[in-house]
Amino acid sequence: MSTPYRLGLDDDLPQALRELLDSTDGPAFERALDAIVHQRERDVFRTLGQLARDLHETLRRFSAEFARDGVAYVAADARQELEAALEMSAQAANRSLDFAERMRPDADALVQHALAELERTADDDPALPLARRALEFGLATRTALADMVLAQSWQDLSGRRIHKAAAFIGNVESALLELVRLTGELVGEEAHGTAPAVSSQADADRLLAEFGF
Amino acid sequence: MGPVENMLDKNMRILVVDDFSTMRRIVRNLLIDLGIRPKMIQEADDGNNAMAMLRNVRFDLVITDWNMPNMSGIDLLRSIREWDKIKTLPVLMVTAENNREQIIAAAQAGVNGFVVKPFSAATLEQKINRIFERLAVSEASA
Repeated sequence: MSTPYRLGLDDDLPQALRELLDSTDGPAFERALDAIVHQRERDVFRTLGQLARDLHETLRRFSAEFARDGVAYVAADARQELEAALEMSAQAANRSLDFAERMRPDADALVQHALAELERTADDDPALPLARRALEFGLATRTALADMVLAQSWQDLSGRRIHKAAAFIGNVESALLELVRLTGELVGEEAHGTAPAVSSQADADRLLAEFGF
Repeated sequence: MGPVENMLDKNMRILVVDDFSTMRRIVRNLLIDLGIRPKMIQEADDGNNAMAMLRNVRFDLVITDWNMPNMSGIDLLRSIREWDKIKTLPVLMVTAENNREQIIAAAQAGVNGFVVKPFSAATLEQKINRIFERLAVSEASA
């Protein structure tokens, strides 16, 4: 009978594992190995679950800080804050556009009236400087209004970035909850049916609670 | 203004497609600055709605954003080119990114012009004029 193969590191192994390696009972060895691997998996998934919970709590604290600072939103989470910022910037841009659209006809009319006045005013007429000044002002106002309209483009550009950031946060939250669901299943805790789509802080909290987080 | 302004047909019917209402208003304002009559400018908030409008009304030009939900600008462009009735309709693509891949994809799909946001009325005018200049040349040589 040949000498059993021995691992070089077995002096560092726990007694139980050393005995197991020396065992000649194949099925017992397989069962014990499965148990060890399963225990390791549980530890890994518990750790992942803890990490997921910590990350989720961090997101929730982030939202709470906004609420505490006086921004009154019923469900204050980062995604909603970004959407609210987007909405506010759109409102501000639209108010500026309202103003520009309201003033443009007045500026055009002033230019036209000033031009007409200049045509029929004699060189020595005391109204001439005023007509010239009105024309300059009308033209400058028209240019300024056009610039103001153009400046609102930044609402569109910043809005698209906000959309991307909000979508990213949504993806992180969904991935996080999927991770929590998977870790819950793998450590033997049953989900109640299939995981529903998660779209709000309340959904997130409910799902986390189902898995004991 | 110079001779360039005179080339723009003030009576052309234009469809502005963008999911951001702010941007649609801005483009509308720029077009009005260029002398286009307000009632000739219509708006859609995505490619699907634009296609629905194109089925019912004859337009002379489409100015569309690239990034939109439901149907993006590039898909709208492809849909236009696939539909015999409007396949030659000029399309000016608007994008927030000066992205080489986007430009190549749009060119391959048959775009007529490409403009990066933000843009001024003068730039918009230049792009529109360029589109119709090229169309005139290709029609003359056909």
